[in-house]
Amino acid sequence: MSQRQLAMVIDINKCLGCQTCTIADKNMWLRGPGQEYMCWNSVETRPGDGYPRRWEKMGGGFDANGEVQLGDLPGVEDYGVPWEWDWEKLPHIFPRPQPSWGPNWQEDVGEGEYPNTWYFYLPRPCNHCNKPACLAACPRQAIYKREEDGIVLIDQERCRGYRYCVRACPYKKPYYNVQTNKAEKCIFCFPRVEKGVPPACVAQCAGRIRFFGFMDDTEGPVYKLVKKFKVAVPLHPEYGTEPNVYYVPPISTPRVGNNGEPQGQGRIPLAYLESLFGPSVRQVLDTLRQEIARARRGETSELIQTLVSNQRWRV
Amino acid sequence: MRKFTRRDFLKMGGLASAGVLVSQRLPALQMLQAVEDPLKSYPYRGWEDLYRKEWRWDKVVRTTHSVNCTGSCGWNVQVRDGIAIRSEQSADFPDPEYNPRGCQKGASYERYVYGPQRVKYPLQRVGERGEGKWKRISWEEAYDIIAEKFLEVAQKHGTDHVFLFSVIPAMSPLSAGAGYRFGSLTGCVVGSFYDWYSDLPPGEPMTWGYQTESCEAWDWANSRYIILWGANAVESRIPDAHFLTEARYLGAKIVTIFPDYNPTSLKADQYLPIREGTDAALGLAMAQHIIARGLYDRAYLQEQTDLPLLVRTDTRKFLRQADLEPGGRDDVFYYWDQKAGQAVAAGKQNLALGPADPALEGRFRVQTAGGEVEVQPVWALLAEKLNRECTPEIAAGITGIAASVIRQVAEEFATTKPAMIIEGAGTNHWYHNDLINRAQMLLPILTGNVGKNGGGFNHYVGQEALKVPSLNQWFWPEKTRWQNTTLWTYCHTFGRRTRGVEEGWMPLYPKEGDPKMMIVWRANYLNQAKGHEAVLANLWPKLELIVDFNYRLDTTALYADLVLPAASFFEKFDLSTTDLHEYIHSFNAAIDPLWESKPDFYIWKELIQVITRKARQKGMADFANLYERWAEMGETPEAVAQWALDNHPWTKGYTVEEIKKHPVRLKRGPNATAGDRSGEAGFTRNRGAFTPFKEHVEGKEHWPTLTGRQQLYLDHDVFLAEGEELPVYKPPLELEKHPLHYLTPHGRWSVHSTWRDLDWMLQLQRGGPILELNPQDAAARDIADNDEVILFNEHGETRLRAKLAPRVRPGTVIVYHGWERYLFDRDSGNWQAPVTIKVKPTQEVEYGHLKFRLNYWGPTGTNRDTRVDVRKA
Repeated sequence: MSQRQLAMVIDINKCLGCQTCTIADKNMWLRGPGQEYMCWNSVETRPGDGYPRRWEKMGGGFDANGEVQLGDLPGVEDYGVPWEWDWEKLPHIFPRPQPSWGPNWQEDVGEGEYPNTWYFYLPRPCNHCNKPACLAACPRQAIYKREEDGIVLIDQERCRGYRYCVRACPYKKPYYNVQTNKAEKCIFCFPRVEKGVPPACVAQCAGRIRFFGFMDDTEGPVYKLVKKFKVAVPLHPEYGTEPNVYYVPPISTPRVGNNGEPQGQGRIPLAYLESLFGPSVRQVLDTLRQEIARARRGETSELIQTLVSNQRWRV
Repeated sequence: MRKFTRRDFLKMGGLASAGVLVSQRLPALQMLQAVEDPLKSYPYRGWEDLYRKEWRWDKVVRTTHSVNCTGSCGWNVQVRDGIAIRSEQSADFPDPEYNPRGCQKGASYERYVYGPQRVKYPLQRVGERGEGKWKRISWEEAYDIIAEKFLEVAQKHGTDHVFLFSVIPAMSPLSAGAGYRFGSLTGCVVGSFYDWYSDLPPGEPMTWGYQTESCEAWDWANSRYIILWGANAVESRIPDAHFLTEARYLGAKIVTIFPDYNPTSLKADQYLPIREGTDAALGLAMAQHIIARGLYDRAYLQEQTDLPLLVRTDTRKFLRQADLEPGGRDDVFYYWDQKAGQAVAAGKQNLALGPADPALEGRFRVQTAGGEVEVQPVWALLAEKLNRECTPEIAAGITGIAASVIRQVAEEFATTKPAMIIEGAGTNHWYHNDLINRAQMLLPILTGNVGKNGGGFNHYVGQEALKVPSLNQWFWPEKTRWQNTTLWTYCHTFGRRTRGVEEGWMPLYPKEGDPKMMIVWRANYLNQAKGHEAVLANLWPKLELIVDFNYRLDTTALYADLVLPAASFFEKFDLSTTDLHEYIHSFNAAIDPLWESKPDFYIWKELIQVITRKARQKGMADFANLYERWAEMGETPEAVAQWALDNHPWTKGYTVEEIKKHPVRLKRGPNATAGDRSGEAGFTRNRGAFTPFKEHVEGKEHWPTLTGRQQLYLDHDVFLAEGEELPVYKPPLELEKHPLHYLTPHGRWSVHSTWRDLDWMLQLQRGGPILELNPQDAAARDIADNDEVILFNEHGETRLRAKLAPRVRPGTVIVYHGWERYLFDRDSGNWQAPVTIKVKPTQEVEYGHLKFRLNYWGPTGTNRDTRVDVRKA
């Protein structure tokens, strides 16, 4: 294990689905050849197939014995071919090839019948896991976890593009670059972090939903939300990689009758949230509701103050 | 940068088995030095500099963007080797809650600066309009063509045949004003935008005598009850939407009212799935319940509104002094003072009532010059009307919202203070938007929430407020031919005249004949025109010369005769303000104008110099001193900006140099930034934030309306004839006989047409124009997801791809606003093809405080009352 670990908390209740994080990330790192299709950080509408398509069905991670599993390798069509437009064709221009899938294809689709449709946004950077399956699977030992901050990196000199990491990562966050013949992925913006600046997706988040810092910083927002208040939980803990990105799960807008009558229960099935975030979701949502109720009564809540804080990172 | 091709990409899918590769590369692997445990330490970290080198720059320039999204965000542009490589939000607003301001569109603006859309040189059309065939010409040639045509039209027809169109001065006033000032000095017609785009909430001038006034976004966090009514803030107000999610955490209840379960409703404590276009009925029924339960603020209504003013039951007009005394005034109104037992003239000094106790209920008799008449307070008329026409039970049948829910939300709104309504285009774009506004506004008025922090009726559609007010003196040195653009487009497209024009209530230029010449800058007139197909067919051929200043080849540019390359937002200086925050900040040139582009200000300057020179040569005295007049307040945007700052108390004391470095707060209202707040962790409620109307509510100043009060009753003959003297529900129009309502909301992927054609934005959508519909409606038409479909009615047809989304209300279809015409198929209209232009009679009336003013009072160009159908292509 690294000596210290950087971690991120993403508050789904504040997520706007605006993809400013995705674009900030692309601006920062993804303008080179071979990177056109990549969103190291993606935001997917859930329920839905996600990015790459049906990534949760592709396998990877560790089995009960701690053996790394090689899952499926996503194909081009699972990410979406980056369309091109021929501006010489004005006065009418079209995307080529004909669009049939993309990184945000199911935006705001969700499930359920009107007016009880339900959906929410799930932003996903690399989890920089304590037990990275990508690292375990790499036959060239080109993936490592930095001692000083726990950031997991793919050595761009040593990598030979075998893509065991892509298959092993159950979150499908390493991406293969056909131009460089190497795999690459989110680097938690380590060049920024080294200078005391948070990752681009954190600093630029218009919804102010991301918190960032060292997990052992007991005064930092990440520690508070994960350890102290226990309202942030990892995505798919059952994959066994011990992610370092945590989520404040979504509080559901209440269901309504056909004429808008409030029906008490939330429209997002608890079982669905449990399938993403594990069994502790129920407790987390109870805590959040209690604290919001306190705020409504005019009481001060340190948890709420943390969730609306202007100081969302300490690095 | 090497272009990545489809073929390269497909290679990746072909290499499905990594095992093959391993064996091929085995020699390399064997030669590789082993790593003991990459979880513990890794000896070869020198390569990491590869990424460190990416995050560097030669300089950072702070600037903003000029788009009509009300964002007015702050951006730091990183420049390396003379290239603007990327930008990040500057996050330097002194209130830390405003940081960071900026969305995914702003973050990808570099792709426009260097994109294929960029206009590089002055272009003259050589093919048909819209064909996209151009000849590169010099700036001298371009100025020559425009100047000669302008002087010819001025001489032969008059300058009222020249139409100038540029939108939203607040987003870059020096770029806008350089042309406005030309228009004012030469007598050209200057078109409105705020009403034409139906961003103007007509209920505000009607009721309050204001164009629009809203609180800054910070004040949302001061609220305890927020109704988002047709205002899809999560998508269309990205930089400020966090104030809603944070207000909710801080204990505010969030209620959303939309026909579709949209992204803003994900953040709601309660969602009301209202039937499209029936919002006025919901508002009125809530008002009825608030009145019936006595949950209104009686003292506030007596003092601040016209509800106690007396109306004659015989004429349905206000009782005026002229009724009571020969030679009496028309603008003195009366209430019934229960202490004095008689009608008393409402004070002309201020709103303070003193000991008087104006009656709200009852019927009274007063002696007029013509005999005794019966009078009733407006309140009584309103209450009776609501009890008769709009109880929650009646509204339930109209809106699809149960009466119990209407009562519950009404009671909560009335008893949880402060409470606010944020209204948006979803309600404001209906034909009866004035009635919807007035119904919505009733709720904060009845409950005394107007003029209070965390309360009110706040409207952020478009961006009307120019918060450097003295610039208006620079824009309009002479009496200007201002023109409501809805009427200009409607009358010249369809060859009709309206009652407002006939009566002389609304101007229409030219007075005779057709317009001959049009100059568009900072706008996309054609793409965004309601009645798009008819405009192109009927109005366009009347224009002998269409000029567009633009940094990108948008639809208007594509259909113009001359396109002049304007500097992008990263290549000029200008100012920027918004309704959403209280700061003035600036554009600064991060790079020099690319190719042959020039800032709009300098294009106008040079064009005016050429016109002046030619006018002198031709002996046209009217324009012989044009340039000297134009340049009176400064010949550079910086000089004009400094002149403007110096000449208004809100801005006096600030310098351009300071504003170039960081945002400065407007000198009005409470100073929310008092002291250094940069170290503060988070919100503390009840902190000062700007909210409008305190001068009336606290200062007791009269409202700028005919009655001097918040005026719910409008006794003009047209309003009486239409039955709209009080707010009332009227159903959406049914002009087209088709089953589906066509909704065109503002979305997250564009600011109107801007960013509609940007690759990264399209990559995160579906690559082109889409129509969203409920799976039920799709199934009934045998339409599957991603099928090509035709959206149609009698006005036009549009081809796009279907997206099946259960969040869409059955019976409605959604095409998010702004798709450029060239993104559609050859044989397709654009997204406005099924939309025609409609002029509402009450919105062209001249009455008391309602008098035509640019962007303040005039018919709105609405689009929602459009029925369509969809079929598989």
